[in-house]
Amino acid sequence: MAEFRLPPNSRIVGGITHPKPAGAAETRTVRIYRFNPDSGENPRLDTFTLELKSCGPMVLDALIQLKAAVDSSLTFRRSCREGICGSCAMNINGVNRLACTTALSDLKGEIRIYPLPHMPVIKDLVPDLTTFYAQYAAVKPWLQSSTPPPPDKERLQSKEEQEKIDRPAACILCACCSTACPSYWWNSDKYLGPAALMAAYRWIIDSRDEATGERLDALEDPYRLYRCHTIMNCTDACPKDLNPARAIAEIKKMMLERQS
Amino acid sequence: MSLSSPLRQVLGTGPAHSGVHHWWVQRLTSIALVPLSVWFVVSLWCLPGLDHATVTAWLRQSWTALLMILFVLTAAWHSNLGLQVIIEDYVHGAGSRTLLLVLVRFLNVLVAAAAAFAVLKVAFGSAA
Repeated sequence: MAEFRLPPNSRIVGGITHPKPAGAAETRTVRIYRFNPDSGENPRLDTFTLELKSCGPMVLDALIQLKAAVDSSLTFRRSCREGICGSCAMNINGVNRLACTTALSDLKGEIRIYPLPHMPVIKDLVPDLTTFYAQYAAVKPWLQSSTPPPPDKERLQSKEEQEKIDRPAACILCACCSTACPSYWWNSDKYLGPAALMAAYRWIIDSRDEATGERLDALEDPYRLYRCHTIMNCTDACPKDLNPARAIAEIKKMMLERQS
Repeated sequence: MSLSSPLRQVLGTGPAHSGVHHWWVQRLTSIALVPLSVWFVVSLWCLPGLDHATVTAWLRQSWTALLMILFVLTAAWHSNLGLQVIIEDYVHGAGSRTLLLVLVRFLNVLVAAAAAFAVLKVAFGSAA
């Protein structure tokens, strides 16, 4: 059956409450999921008190501050700090988003930070995205064309043709969408998930690509594509305001149109 | 524990080359069920009473019997397609999934046949 409860060794127990920094005037309470695979212990939810005066405006700033000032073992991924690398995707107050583009002031009350849902956790806020990347690789996200490129210039696209792929190609593979999808939670071994499907769509509609049929063939499957039941959590979650749900719907329409 | 590559695990046994038909028929039956179920509810609502004689007299009319058969067959078909999706979503053991899919299909065919037969029996049966 699908997993509706975490396995016993993944259930959250207790947690450490770090003392409030002395003399801090303005503070926020931040509760962070902690898991250390080496300890053999269950994950826990630690409580931190964040001093706002010395902290930047974003959730990522808070994490960096807490790691520097309170607990150096706090582990998370981050790189660009401007919403283009997709490294710091995590579940903040129940919503998958990028820590670097989520302002602390936009979050009400206590801040709760968990890793992306329903993924194996490597440590603290770092999920194992191996399968997610393999799904991206499985849709062959590169140009396939038997017509050789012109010898003296690049393959040309009209402005309209470029505009079609402009938004889907802006995906940063942060995994916020796929890990917000219940179908992906229950069937990620066979369902490709919104991120990989939007990548597939980006190449299916690319005017320079010649493998459209093969790409559609590879998706024509009850699990790979049709586990999407259009609940649109993916579009809701996307921190780049992209629309994977629409991309999937367009693929389904193309599947039908080539038959009838 | 498997040492095969993540890509091999994702690719599995390859695409089944099906799913379009299921998806499309599920949509078609849902569209058909909108007017059919509205007709069914409104017609029952408009009957002067819901006693046996009134309802069987209503069911004996040709249009009623025809629409009623379409309604029960479409509903059973749609139910089979929908339950199939739910089972595929949530039941992961290959054996239990196949068993449940077979049971659901048998049950829906039985319901469809029994309902259609009942309508015909009333429609063509002698006045009670």
